[in-house]
Amino acid sequence: MTAYVLHLAILAGIYIILTVSINLIIGYAGQVSLGHAAFYGIGAYASALVSLHWHFPFPAAALTAMLVAGLCGLALGLPTLRLKEDYLAIVTLGFGVIVDLVFLNLEFTGGPDGLPGIPPPSFWGIDFRPPWLYLILVVVTVILVLIFTYRLVDSYHGRALRAIRDHEITAQVMGINTPAYKVVVFTLAAALAGLAGSLYAHYITFINPETFGLHTSILILAMVVLGGMGSIAGSVLGAVILTILPEMLRQAHAYQELIYGGLLMLLLIWRPEGLLGRGKLSLKFLKRES
Amino acid sequence: MFFQQLINGLTTGSVYALIALGYTMIYGILGLINFAQGEIYMCGAFVAVLLLATGKVNFFLAFALGMAAAALLGVILERVAFRPLRGFHPLVPLISAIGASIFLQSLALLLFGPNDRPFPIQFTFSTINIAGLPVSTLQIAILGAALGFMGLLIVFVRYTTYGKAIMACALDRDTARLMGINVDRMVSLTFLVGSALSGAAGIMMAIYYNATYPRMGLLPGLKAFSAAILGGVGNIPGAILGGLLLGVAESLGAAYISSGFKDAIAFAILILVLLLRPQGILRGRGD
Amino acid sequence: MLTLKSVQAGYGPLPVLKGISLHVRAGEVVTLIGGNGAGKTTTLRAISGLLPPRKGVIEFAGHDLTHMPAERMVTLGLSLVPEGRRVFRTLSVTANLELGAFHRRDKGAVRQDLEDIRERFPILKERAHQAAGTLSGGEQQILAIGRALMARPRLLMLDEPSMGLAPQMVTRVYAILAELKAAGTTILLVEQNARAALKVADRGYVLETGRIILDGSAADLRDDPEVQRAYLGKGYQEVWE
Repeated sequence: MTAYVLHLAILAGIYIILTVSINLIIGYAGQVSLGHAAFYGIGAYASALVSLHWHFPFPAAALTAMLVAGLCGLALGLPTLRLKEDYLAIVTLGFGVIVDLVFLNLEFTGGPDGLPGIPPPSFWGIDFRPPWLYLILVVVTVILVLIFTYRLVDSYHGRALRAIRDHEITAQVMGINTPAYKVVVFTLAAALAGLAGSLYAHYITFINPETFGLHTSILILAMVVLGGMGSIAGSVLGAVILTILPEMLRQAHAYQELIYGGLLMLLLIWRPEGLLGRGKLSLKFLKRES
Repeated sequence: MFFQQLINGLTTGSVYALIALGYTMIYGILGLINFAQGEIYMCGAFVAVLLLATGKVNFFLAFALGMAAAALLGVILERVAFRPLRGFHPLVPLISAIGASIFLQSLALLLFGPNDRPFPIQFTFSTINIAGLPVSTLQIAILGAALGFMGLLIVFVRYTTYGKAIMACALDRDTARLMGINVDRMVSLTFLVGSALSGAAGIMMAIYYNATYPRMGLLPGLKAFSAAILGGVGNIPGAILGGLLLGVAESLGAAYISSGFKDAIAFAILILVLLLRPQGILRGRGD
Repeated sequence: MLTLKSVQAGYGPLPVLKGISLHVRAGEVVTLIGGNGAGKTTTLRAISGLLPPRKGVIEFAGHDLTHMPAERMVTLGLSLVPEGRRVFRTLSVTANLELGAFHRRDKGAVRQDLEDIRERFPILKERAHQAAGTLSGGEQQILAIGRALMARPRLLMLDEPSMGLAPQMVTRVYAILAELKAAGTTILLVEQNARAALKVADRGYVLETGRIILDGSAADLRDDPEVQRAYLGKGYQEVWE
């Protein structure tokens, strides 16, 4: 039982990193990514491959994951972030499907079988194999990510980002380089998703394309919207609830997905601003005139 | 070979186009992506297949009832998952529609099980020669029916009072209200019409691939949505063109590049087109 | 025919109308003049149901309009030509006119009205199949008026019909209003162009920051020194010369 709780806590921690990273894109730059799991997957595969083939220690593998995922984010973000937000959603969705198929079809990613035998982290003389130690590793990472995002949000740059979200043209007139900001945020978010991927790969020690498909992108998005867009605390809460909810529904067996989908819909109709969203007014503020 | 792939592509493309019309109409009037469109497609197919399996209903009645069921589901979905969320950030109804999509897929899984169901009646289709090239009559039938539905929709939108009223709501909601047009009713009507077309698309694919299953709507739904964007959202001829283009590109790509990446081709083209021509092939609504 | 009693309305927490009372009698042309942000458009939005009032009562021909949705107004005979014309840009000129009669069930009479309006405004016949968005501003204004007339309104409300039009187009639009008046149409005209509005109107109200500060016959308002100074531009020269 305890082992199971530890397992859920580790997964929730990984999802928190993912939701916080996507929340940077949605909540602070008014952009939508429907393919965030692609960066999660890119990080996981990059980290696994450098560990398996070149025996990178975990910190180096995790950094590689962030770097590769971040570069992919930059490559996708540079040409696409000037598009309207609806289009960006579909471009990222397409990117997600393509990346998923690449994992599935390439030789060195193991195809549908994926990559087994990824080494658990072991550095500074500590073997992180026991789940409670791994949980500490995840918690420390989550705290670092949260500190980083809070500082970013509160900084001059954070205010610039909110200005872009609230009114892009005004922000441009004020001299904020909006395209550059969007690309930077997108890249940062992709890098953080890559970090989450690395944490996942070295915890489960086995990855295959199934984990990084569209449903995961949607799950992350649902966590953010449920928690409340633009609220970091909301992202954390959304990640915890949607990690635990399916587990609680497990007793419902066949009805698990049915109740899950229904609850997601009902929760949003009950509280469209999200559980920790800043009320209806601020969300209307988020809505762009089109 | 090339010609065969072209015909294959046009056949699936015409079905994508039918679903894309639903997306584009709903996007036009509400500015929202109905993520559960694929499940409406699935619903149409299941209702028709189950009715035909009883052996008491003839094909055309089953087809019409399948479309009617899909239309009804679309209208209910709008009431439940979209209407209460109007005025909120567009992501909120998107996620709510995703919730509805998960719900409907798992409901279908519970009711019908995970296995493919073959189409209950066997048609005898043959291969005929058109200008010396072999074409299956099944493909001709699907292509013809899809084009027929598209024609009906265009007539509806261009020449009927309600069709014009839907366009008016999509263009300028407040002014439409001043004309005495009840916007809520037009939104329901849009969902009704768009969903009926998706239902028809589902039934045609159920015949074409001889398979009906709970997750059948996922990929066609995503591709049709891409087709709608490709054609310029809110643009009806654009959605048709986008659907046909995606179908052909996918079929040719699978044949000449790699069948493993078949599902990626549609999205790769979409990304390329958006980068080169962000407003879509034809222009979107508004101007 | 139309009565407003201490109507308050606004957007978000800000009240724009701070208690407006006015009335329009059958057969009258009444104008509501005032500067930018005085609340003229808000008044029309409140009457037409696009912005339900917070307080006060709006009555029209024995019906209480206060909480009536916008789409029902037109069935009572209330039509609004909105600010900025708001024609349905991608629809044809004819489709725009037909939508004006959306609520009517007397199809034969609608067809007749369509013919009459095209006779009256030949430009709408010439451009029948063109997208409304391709018309010039003045032509769009004529289309918007024609569209409103297709509803056979008992009260026609116009929001700044001269806005953004070339001077000769303003003259043409006001000639149409004078014709409508001669035919006995009841009109509530909102204008920033007080000079043109007071010429055609029987009576007028002056609106300033959400309150009516002056009302009277059009002739009296034209002669009022305050109106002349603020809205007609007279005395302007004296100050500057």
